[in-house]
Formats: sequence, structure tokens, C-alpha cells
Amino acid sequence: MTPSLKWRLLGWTIGGMALLLAVFAVVVYTAIERALRNGFDDNLAVTAWAIAASAKQEEATVEVEFDEGEMSEFRRADRPAYFELWHEDGRALRRSSSLGERDLERRESAPGTPAFYPLALPDKRPGRAVALRFRPKVEDEQEGEDKPPAESTPAPPVVPQNLTLVVARDTAGLDRDLAMLRWLLAGAAGGTILLALLVAAATVRQGLRPLDALAARIAAIREDNLAAALPEDRMPAEMVPVVRRLNELLARLEAAFQRERALTADVAHELRTPLAGMRSTVEVALSRARAAGDYQQALRDCLAIVGQTQAMADNLLALARLEGGQTVLCAQEVRVAELVEAAWRPHAAAARARGIALESRLPADLEATADRDTLARVLSNLLANAAEYTDDGGRIEIGGWSAGDRVELRIANTGCRLTPEEAAHVFDRFWRGDAARAGTGVHCGLGLTLVQRGVAALGGTVAVKVDGGVFAVALILPAPGVP
Amino acid sequence: MRVLLVEDYPPLQKSVAKGLREAGFAVDAAADGEEGLWYATTGEYDVVVLDLMLPKIDGLTVLKRLRAEGRPCHVLLLTAKDTVADRVRGLDLGADDYLVKPFAFAELLARVRALARRAYRAKNPTLRVGDLRIETPTQRVWRGREEAHLTPREYVLLEYLAMRAGEVVSRMDIWEHVYEFGSEADSNVVDVYIGYLRRKLERPCKPPLIHTVRGRGYRLGGGE
Repeated sequence: MTPSLKWRLLGWTIGGMALLLAVFAVVVYTAIERALRNGFDDNLAVTAWAIAASAKQEEATVEVEFDEGEMSEFRRADRPAYFELWHEDGRALRRSSSLGERDLERRESAPGTPAFYPLALPDKRPGRAVALRFRPKVEDEQEGEDKPPAESTPAPPVVPQNLTLVVARDTAGLDRDLAMLRWLLAGAAGGTILLALLVAAATVRQGLRPLDALAARIAAIREDNLAAALPEDRMPAEMVPVVRRLNELLARLEAAFQRERALTADVAHELRTPLAGMRSTVEVALSRARAAGDYQQALRDCLAIVGQTQAMADNLLALARLEGGQTVLCAQEVRVAELVEAAWRPHAAAARARGIALESRLPADLEATADRDTLARVLSNLLANAAEYTDDGGRIEIGGWSAGDRVELRIANTGCRLTPEEAAHVFDRFWRGDAARAGTGVHCGLGLTLVQRGVAALGGTVAVKVDGGVFAVALILPAPGVP
Repeated sequence: MRVLLVEDYPPLQKSVAKGLREAGFAVDAAADGEEGLWYATTGEYDVVVLDLMLPKIDGLTVLKRLRAEGRPCHVLLLTAKDTVADRVRGLDLGADDYLVKPFAFAELLARVRALARRAYRAKNPTLRVGDLRIETPTQRVWRGREEAHLTPREYVLLEYLAMRAGEVVSRMDIWEHVYEFGSEADSNVVDVYIGYLRRKLERPCKPPLIHTVRGRGYRLGGGE
């Protein structure tokens, strides 16, 4: 399945966002959790210090004057807190009423610094405790009375005792708050992602709609409406280059189709003339009983027409093949003079009868690199053209020479009645000077088109010049040895 | 009837001219627009068969010039251009008929005949003068119940006289409309053929058909 742009966009965007939200939620949760736990611990510490402050040492005895009534949590039955004080030697000094006869686990801490740790409360609930090692306030018996300083006898030094206090509370509330926070964050993140997914899906779908619209319009393009260009004006900026290229491609396709249509129409048109000629000839021949000689003449006339039509068909086919790239050309070393002579032979007699003089200044050993058949056809067409259009008593000149890596040929004839503007059209398909057949019907206007395509296929160039009634064709071909 | 054929494609020109001549028309043929225009403006033609794609001057231009000069000849356009637009254009420019190539020669012949009849306002393909009956499509002639067998030259002369039945037709008219341009025969040939016609058509028991109008020409029918 081809990857979907929409799903990829959504996937990466939402996935990235989900990841970010998750990280953010975790960070926030961690920070809040820490704050809450610190607050809990601070509370524990405060309670512990409060209890610790109520411990007093008088000489060797320590008394805890802690009044549980002020902190009912140590007395209540429902989820109470606990505390226990120990002497330095481990004897329990004081317990909270909630403890009863049980003991809390005794832990030590650095003196004066509370140590926090989790523990299981005596009634199995999860809790957290703070352990505090401290020295109780030492009370001097005589502290409350005024005594003359000189008369007092120094009391024996009191050794302060180290007491350990552990206060434990359950963390249910904290845990519940944290759980709620987790649900809240998860819910918010999840909800946001879901909402974002919906919004993004809708946005992406909307955003990609021009693409769907374009696809629909392209699907509607057929051979007969290629000229209708795709609209550029309401396309998003990113698609404009694509649409522009598509339009250019469509325009080229349309032009190619038009050329093809024109060619088909031209060919049909061109075929009508010889067909009309044949039909008329045959019908008139058949319209009454005739001598054998008349029938023979009619048949000969038809054969001549068939020959002309065949020549046209051959030219068309050769042209189509050249244009379609189907002709396989081999580069051969060919003697130009030989091919020229062969191409001129069919026209020689008729030309002589019309007083046309042929001057050939081709070196006999002039060679070029070309596919023999294609060059033969090119020369044949050029010389047929010259033979046809030269005026009676006119001249045809053929010249050739080699120039470095090129071989140049020139075929010129007198009797040309084209203007330079018209001369620009000679290579067009079915174009003829005078828009008619100039007498023989052979020239349906494809000869020079074939010459142009053929020469291009041979890797050369051909140009035409009209000057003072002289029609000159300049042909350039690769010299022998040039690929 | 005299027809000018302006067509540059040789096989077509040759076969159409031959076919029309064999059908009794006097045909002059031109191979390009310039030559065709010259013929049309110097001669009198009943029908002009005009191709459109011509060298030198194209067919439509020739048509326009003919009409501009007020030439009354009937023009049939012959062409490979077959769209409605082409036909409308040709007819609007003054052509009388339009035939697309390739065509059946029989159709061309029928249309040329129709245009020739139109030239003489003879609507009926069967011409009757007195008890003379001429079937123009088949070129058969009856005097009363008796069929007359005429040579082609005799027939075309009789047909022309019948087209203009009741009118005095001068030798010059006959010369121009019945015989081809540059025919080597001299004006005497008209009299000779009138004689042939009389010999084949006139009967002692029947009223004369062909009347000589001294100094002016001949007349077919119309009473004395």
C-alpha cells in the first residue's frame, strides 16, 4: 500500500506532540510529587521538632511534656499517626497512645538532622516516618530563682542524653493526591492528544483538499480537452510549480495531437486527388464500349496515378518511421558521387528533353559517414525536386567538398519562383509553392520534409536559400571517421 | 453546349474532358487559374467546371472575378474541400453548384447538364418542339413516333436549337456554343450540319421544323 501523506503527516505530528506531552506530564508530575513529598516531610519534621521540643532533661531524667491533646492524630482510632521516643540505650521513653504496646521501628539519624524513610505502619498501612536524634533541653533546677551568684555552689555537670524520636504518618492522603494528579495529567494529555488528532485530521484533510481537487481535474482530462489548462490561481503556493509543469506538458501533448490530427486530415485530403483521378478515368472508360487501345490507355493512366500515390505513401511511411525513431541507421562510409548519380538517373532523360543542364562538380572520391539508404532517399528527393521545379532550359548545379570533420553538399537549380518568406516553409509537411501540384501530382509536399528529418537522423543539417530565382540547398554531413 | 474545365490534375482533367466531350459538350480545358480566367473572359461558356486548388490564381479568386465582371456562366465547383463552411463559402461567392472529389462521373455529367438547362431556362429534361421529342439524358430524338438516329455532332446542334426553340439563333451563337474553341472547321460546317439535321428530321408530310431566317440564322419551331 502506498504510504499516505495524510497519515504520515498526522502520525509524525501527533506522535511528536504525544511524546512531548508525555515528557512534559512526567516532568510536571515529578516536580509536583517532589514538592508534595517535601511538604509532607516538612510537616513530619515540624511535628517531630514540636515533640522534641517538649522533651526536657532534669539532671539524669528526661521527661516528655508532650500533650497529645494538641495533636489529636496521635490519639484517634481512625488512621492515627504514631510516635515513639527512645533513650540512648534503646529503652522506650514515651509512646503515642495510638501505638499502645507496640513499638515503632527505631532508626537513627545524624544528630539534629531528621531522616525520612518509608515504612509500614503497625496497622499495615503504608506510611512515612521521620527519625530524629536530638538532645533534650536541659533544665536547671535553680533556673527559676534568683540566687546570688557568689553563694551558689557549682552543680555537678549534667551529661546530656541523646534521644531518638520517630514520628510516623500514613501516606494515604499523599498517595491519593498523587494518584489524582497522575489521572489528571494523563487525562489532560490524552484528551489533548485526542483533540489534537481530531483537529489535525480535519485540518490535514482540508489542507489536502486542493490535491484531491487537482487529482479530480486531471482525471477529467481527455484527448479532446487537453487545451483546457489547469487553473493556477487558487492553488496553494506549493502546488503551483507542479500545476505549471503539468500545463506545459499538456500544451506539448495538445500540440503533438494537433500535428497528428492535421497530418491525418492532410493525408486524407491528399489521397482524394489521386482517387478522384482514378475514379474519373475508370468511369469514363467504362461509360461506353471502347477500342482495346482506349482501355489500355485508361489503365496506363490509372497505373501512373497508383505510382504517384504509392510514392506518397512510401514518403509518409518513411517520415513516420524517422520521426518515431524506428529506423535503425548504420553509419557507413559512402561515396557521395555514386549516390547522386543513382538518384539523378530516373530524371535524366526527361530533364534532357526539357533542355535542363546538369553540372556536377562532385569529387569522385568524396566520402561521408551516413546510412546509405537514408542518404539515398534524401538525395533522391532533392534531385526529384530540382528536376521538377527547374524551368525549361534551366540549370542544376551540384557541388561538394570536405571541410575538416564535415562534408558539404550544394544542390542549386534555376527557375525558382518562391519568395524568401515562402522558402522558410519548404520543409513543412504537405507544403507546396503555389498551393497546388505544379503539374505532375508527384509532389505532395513531403519530399523536403523527408529530407530534413532524414538529414537530422544522419546527424547533419540542411538549409535552403532562395536568391534571384535560384533555389539552393546546402547539406552538411559528418565526414568519414566522425561518429 | 460549351463547357470550360479548369482543373490542374492531369488525370482528372483528361478523363473529365473526354467524358464531357463524349456526352456532346464542347469542352475547353485550362490547367491553372490564370489560363482559366483568360478562357472564361474571352469565350462564352454555358457551364464552367472549376477546381478550387489551382496554381497561379486559385479557384475562388477566379470565381470572384467572373462574377465581378458579370459573366453569366453557370459555375460548378469541383474540390476536395468538403466541410459545410467550404461549401457555403463557394456558393455564397457565386457558384451555382458544388461537387466534392472523388465523385462519380455520372453525377458530374448530370449536374453539368442541369446547369446547361438552367442556362436556357429549360426546366424539363425532355425538350419538345412540335412533334419533335428530345430526351436530353439519353440523347434520343423522336419525330412523332419515329426515332431519329443522329450523330453526336448533329445531336448537340439540335439540342442547342431546341433549348432556344422559337428564337433566332445566329451562326455565331452556334459557333461559340456548340463547337470547341479553336476548332478548325469554318463557319460552313454549321450550314452543313443543319442540312444533315433536315435530312434526318424533316418529312414531306410534316410541317418543317428548322427554319432559315435570311441574314440572321436559323430557328427551330415557332411557325413561319
